[in-house]
Amino acid sequence: MKRIMIDPAKCDGCKNCSVACMEAHRTDGGSGVYTLDLTDPNNISRNRIVSDGKGGYDPIFCRHCDVPDCAGACMSGALVKNMENGLVEYDEKKCAACYMCVMSCRYGVPAISPDRKRMIKCDFCAHLEEGPACVRACPKGAIEVKEVGEWSDM
Amino acid sequence: MERYVIIGAGAAGIAAAATLRDFKPEAVITVLSIDEHVHSRCMLHKYLGRERDVEGIGFVAPDFFDKHDITHISCETATRIDTAGKTVYFGEGYSLPYDKLLIATGAGFFIPPIPHFREAPNVFGFRDLSDAMKIDEAFGKGKRVFIVGSGLVGLDAASALCERGAEVTIAEMAERVMPLQTDDYAASVYQKAFEDHGCRFLLGIGASDAVVDGAGNITEVILSTGEHVPCDFVIMAAGVRPRIQIAVDSGIAAERGITVDEHLRTSAPDVYAAGDCTGLSGVWPDAMDQGKVAARNMAGIEEVYEKPYPFKNTSNFFGITMLSVGRLDQTEGAEVLVHHTPTEYKKAVVKDGKLTGYLVLGNISNTGLYLYLIRNGVDLSDKLDHLFQLTFADFYGINEKNGEYAYAR
Repeated sequence: MKRIMIDPAKCDGCKNCSVACMEAHRTDGGSGVYTLDLTDPNNISRNRIVSDGKGGYDPIFCRHCDVPDCAGACMSGALVKNMENGLVEYDEKKCAACYMCVMSCRYGVPAISPDRKRMIKCDFCAHLEEGPACVRACPKGAIEVKEVGEWSDM
Repeated sequence: MERYVIIGAGAAGIAAAATLRDFKPEAVITVLSIDEHVHSRCMLHKYLGRERDVEGIGFVAPDFFDKHDITHISCETATRIDTAGKTVYFGEGYSLPYDKLLIATGAGFFIPPIPHFREAPNVFGFRDLSDAMKIDEAFGKGKRVFIVGSGLVGLDAASALCERGAEVTIAEMAERVMPLQTDDYAASVYQKAFEDHGCRFLLGIGASDAVVDGAGNITEVILSTGEHVPCDFVIMAAGVRPRIQIAVDSGIAAERGITVDEHLRTSAPDVYAAGDCTGLSGVWPDAMDQGKVAARNMAGIEEVYEKPYPFKNTSNFFGITMLSVGRLDQTEGAEVLVHHTPTEYKKAVVKDGKLTGYLVLGNISNTGLYLYLIRNGVDLSDKLDHLFQLTFADFYGINEKNGEYAYAR
C-alpha cells in the first residue's frame, strides 16, 4: 500500500500542492489554474501548508492512517479503510454529514463542504491515472508517494 | 471449530463481527438481533424524513453477512444465557451454543414515570428502525407531535417531522435546547432555526400528566405549568438506559450497565460486552471501538480497552454545524474565552493551561485536534495566544516508521 510521505525540511511553502489539489477536484468543468477560482469555498484544498513560525513549513496531508480515526467514527459506512490499497475511501452517497469524522481525526484533517452535506478529504486523486496531483506539483520533492508495506498495527 | 455468538447488530455488534472474521477465518460466527435490517440509529431521521429508505440507512453493505460468512439470525430476541452450559436461548425455545459470546444489546429509550406515559400505545421512542416505522405510521393519522426532550435524539426526530409538515412541540426540562452540547448562544441559534421550521419549544418545562382516550392513547399532554397541549402522539427523547436485562436474568453482574473489566469481559467466563449496554459511553465511535477491542480479546489477542472520553459530539441541523467537546459547563476556576464574528462562534474553557471544553458553531472544518487536546490534557500554556487557530502544525511530528503523524511539540 502507498502513502504520501512528507519531508517537511524540503518544503518551502510554495503551496503548489494546494493549488494542484484544488485544480484536480474542481467541479466547475474548467481546467487550468488560470481559470481556477481560489476563493470559491467549493474549491478548498484537501491539503494545507502551515508556517511553523520559524521560517519552515509543516505540510498537513491526510495520512490514510493504518487505524483511521475518521473511519472508526463513521456511522454511515461512507468512510472505509480499503485493506487492498490502504486508502481511506469516501462514498459521498452514503454520507449523512454527521461530521463525527471531523471531530475524531486527531490531526484535524477532514473538512466540511460549504453546503454541509459532505465531508472533504484526500482521495489520493483516485480519478487520475497518474496519481496524486499534489505530489506531481511539488517542485522540491517534499512529498512523494511511497510504498509503506504492511501495517505497523491493526 | 470455534463458535462465536454476538447478540446485537448495532455499531458494537457489527464492528465485532467484522473484526472477529479478520482474526478467525475459520470460526463459526453468528449474529443474533431483534432488528431485521442492520441500520445506523444515527440516520433514523433520514428514514423518518423520507430522505432515505431502509437500505439507505444501513452502515454496512447489504451483502455484509454473506461476504464475511457470518450467520445472521434476525427478528429474534435473546431471552437467557446459560453461562455454565455456554448456550444462548432465543425466541420460542431455540438455543445457540457458544465458545465465546459478546453481548452488544445497546441501550433503549427511557420513559419517566409520568402518569399514562408508560402504558399509552401512542408513546414512541426514537432509537431503532422499528420505532421510526411506528412513528411513520402514527404520522399518517395525525400531525400534532409532542416530543419530550431536546437532546440530539429529540431534535433529530423534530427535524425529520418538520420537513414533513408536522406541528411539533418540544418540552425541555433545561433552560435551553441540547443542554448537554450547547451553551446559551449556540442553543439560541438552533432554537431559532427549529422555530423557523415550525417547531415550538417549551423550555424549563416538563410533562407531568396526560389526558387519554378510551384506548389509553394520549390526546393531551399536561405540562408542569398546568397547560394542556393537544397531540396525536408522543416521542420520548429524554434519555436512554443500557439494555442489561438479559445479563441480569442470566446472573451476569450489572449495575447501570453490564459490568466489564479492562478487556471488556463480563463476570461470566467467555462472555464479553461492548457498546451502549456497558454504559461506558453513548456515542457511535466508542461503540465501534469497544466492539473491535472486545472481538480482539475474544480472538485471543489481549488488549486493554482505553477508557472512552464520552463528552463529544457534532450536530448538523438545517445546515448549522456545531462541534462540542469537553465540559463547557464546568467553568469554576477556569477561564472562558469567546471568539464571535458574524459567521463564526467559538468558545474555549481553559484551566491550568489546558483546554477542558471547546465549542465551534459554524465552520467546523479541521477541528478534530481539539478533541485530542482535551482528551489527553495536552499542555497549551505556550499556545494560549492562538487557541482558536490551532492546527496540527502546532504539534507537528512524523512517525518515521510508517510516515503517519505523531504529536511531538
